[in-house]
Amino acid sequence: MAIRELKVCLLGDTGVGKSSVVCRFVQDHFDHNISPTIGASFLTKTVPCGKELHKFLIWDTAGQERFHSLAPMYYRGSAAAVIVYDITKMDTFQTLKKWVKELKEHGPEDIVVAIAGNKSDLSDIREVPVKEAKEYAESISAIFIETSARNAVNIEELFQKISRQIPPLDPQEYEKTDAFKLTRPPPTSSKRCC
Amino acid sequence: MLYWINSNILPKKIKCIFFKKSFIYNFSHFRQAYYGGNWASFTFSGLLAWIEENKEAFSKEEITEWMNDIKEGEEILLLNSSDKSIMNVEVFNFDLFLTVDPDEDLKEEGSSQKENDLFLTVDLVEDLKEQGSSQRKDDLFLTVAAAESFESGIDKSPDMYVNEHPSEALEHNDVCTSSQKKNPELFLDGKKYVNVCKTSVAETRKTITYSQIIRESRRFNIDLVSKLLYSRGSLVDLLIKSNVSRYAEFKNVNRILTYQNGSVEQVPCSRADVFGSKQLTVVEKRMLMKFLSFCIEYEQHPEEYADFKERTFSDFLKTKNLTTNLANFILHSIAMVLDTDLTTEGLRATQHFLQSLGRYGNTPFLFPLYGLGEIPQCFCRMCAVFGGIYCLRHGIRCLVVDKETRRCKAIIDSCGKRISLWAFYCGEQLISRAVLITDRSLLKADSEQLISLVTVPPLKNGQPAVRIIELCSSSMTCMQGTYLVHLTCSSVENAKEDLSPVVSKLFSENIKTGEKGEVEAERPNVLWALYFNMPDFSSVERSSYDLPNNVYVCCGPDSGLGNDCSIQQAEHIFHQMFPDEEFCPPAPNPEDIVYDGDGAPPEESLFKEHEESEVGDGEERTLDTKHLVTSTTNEAEDAQESVKEIPSE
Repeated sequence: MAIRELKVCLLGDTGVGKSSVVCRFVQDHFDHNISPTIGASFLTKTVPCGKELHKFLIWDTAGQERFHSLAPMYYRGSAAAVIVYDITKMDTFQTLKKWVKELKEHGPEDIVVAIAGNKSDLSDIREVPVKEAKEYAESISAIFIETSARNAVNIEELFQKISRQIPPLDPQEYEKTDAFKLTRPPPTSSKRCC
Repeated sequence: MLYWINSNILPKKIKCIFFKKSFIYNFSHFRQAYYGGNWASFTFSGLLAWIEENKEAFSKEEITEWMNDIKEGEEILLLNSSDKSIMNVEVFNFDLFLTVDPDEDLKEEGSSQKENDLFLTVDLVEDLKEQGSSQRKDDLFLTVAAAESFESGIDKSPDMYVNEHPSEALEHNDVCTSSQKKNPELFLDGKKYVNVCKTSVAETRKTITYSQIIRESRRFNIDLVSKLLYSRGSLVDLLIKSNVSRYAEFKNVNRILTYQNGSVEQVPCSRADVFGSKQLTVVEKRMLMKFLSFCIEYEQHPEEYADFKERTFSDFLKTKNLTTNLANFILHSIAMVLDTDLTTEGLRATQHFLQSLGRYGNTPFLFPLYGLGEIPQCFCRMCAVFGGIYCLRHGIRCLVVDKETRRCKAIIDSCGKRISLWAFYCGEQLISRAVLITDRSLLKADSEQLISLVTVPPLKNGQPAVRIIELCSSSMTCMQGTYLVHLTCSSVENAKEDLSPVVSKLFSENIKTGEKGEVEAERPNVLWALYFNMPDFSSVERSSYDLPNNVYVCCGPDSGLGNDCSIQQAEHIFHQMFPDEEFCPPAPNPEDIVYDGDGAPPEESLFKEHEESEVGDGEERTLDTKHLVTSTTNEAEDAQESVKEIPSE
């Protein structure tokens, strides 16, 4: 099976559980005191999808969301974006719209957008009604799901939904670029001048 | 530019990467923000906004009530809060016909910014119908004429679009009349139009219009600084060593061209090029190969150039039995040194070029996808991943300095205030820059997707050697069907005077029908041009400033092609700050990360916080800081009000 690398960028206010969602998905682990994303450029997990394997490269904000300081580079080449809010905090849902706008301005045009209402285990102190969030997600053609990173609810489903929305690989697209990454060790020199 | 990192976020257990280019830029006036300062790259409309910002008159503002925050034993050091290091900004828009049509939106894709006032210099071409126009009666033709016209607002104008139109339409139109009364719809409310009289010109081969450029604004990533990476240069090494390379993709520069004997030619630089060259005779090929072979190990043959150590490389080349053509190739396109540079410098540069050859491709150079502005962002990302926090949109108004220890104790944050301090711009060496959007490559080839470096020797004595980098759309720096062309040289006069002679020689700007000769028809048309000067502070010494001893000076970009100068400086500053730390140690692979469960309190919502700070415009905050790094341009600053939220180690 062909492995396809898919970059997914996470967005959402500080403290809504972005890192917890990834941590649950990638390591099936939940830590109440997760340190805010130190040291991880991105986390990876591979899941099967039809005839392909999708290797998600999940980029966390590394705290850069705090001052709205996510560089355009953060969004480059993303296949999908997960925008997380906290169902117990209305303001995190309100600012979701700003993240959507930010994504429209900086993200790729064909990006798959998923909205995740996290902390669904705390629904007794819910502030954001499911209906409202769902309607908003529909209005921007985004995937919508409520998740609980703590109880491992709907985390896999979130990424499965994303997988299904990823358009099949366009062979032309695949071939067109002759760009490359700099790697270690560098390619050995085959054609030196002198 | 002020960069800083806080000691709290540099605990021993995490190696924070701190890099010179990693800094925060404040564009407080418009509340725009971007990474990279003078190293940044912009979308087309982002660049228009930047142009506006740099045209604004410098204004001094009074020191206000925040002075009360200064305690006894402290003094303040005021900083410029806006970037006034950019000078002589001129914009030219060529041969673009604008049509106003209320049904059409001229809007950048995905842009949701609010509409700004539109300032536009236009030609009204009157009564097209009488002149054989095939256009609809209601259409208005506006020729965008000249400088200082396209302001940041244009992309947000709802009712402008550019009309592609037949060449005959305006051919006879040499009278230009302002027709405000006849065309009232042109004068949209709240918008200001200036009429400039200029002959309209037809253009047959044009395919790209200004409205397309605006609409595709996001496809452009226009760098303020134009440089390439030497495949074996220190930036490439650093990117690989630190694993920052994982954030960026690169393309090879495909061709090295030069302007010689009135035409653009390819420079043979690899073995394959040399032997495959049709311009060179067999004898020339041998001579060139022999000389290049010597250069790659010149240190082992000191006798070859011992007599020329004090003389110029150009003189040395004359003794090497090279034809003038070859000597020029080597001097201008391979070594890329000046006529006045010494032999050892020329040999070193030639060697550096040759060593980089073949590592990744047929030329020694790499270019990052999306532009050079990606590089600072990549380092910022790495820094953020290790706990560094960047805060755009917050200026530093001043440094609070302890009188006794001469250490910077705090900063005071600003919101749009400007206070002049170090007026050290004048007298510095300048870099002249031009950015062109063109419709075809300087040298036609089988592929349209090539990145080319073009070296242009001084056209006349006293004029500078100009370096051109032509980027194709697959470099992700411009829209399809266009080329983004960067011109750079050390300033002799201002940017326009230094670079426009080269632009006139190599490109077609003044496209008057009938006047265009055969040769000129082959040249790329300039659709849009920007000229500006930026300071080259590469030689500035820290000791020139009376600064607190924990404030470090970073130079801005230099005019060289490579990045070695900046990397060296970054490393030097880093070691001054953290003598025992490794500079840019390798970042771990994602798989190697172990969450240690180190607690951190829940943080405030970004937007909430941000909104609050907007409400409190002009309000100041005092922040603790141990290390401050400042660049000589000191115009833009970052702040880090999150300090108090970060758990101490």
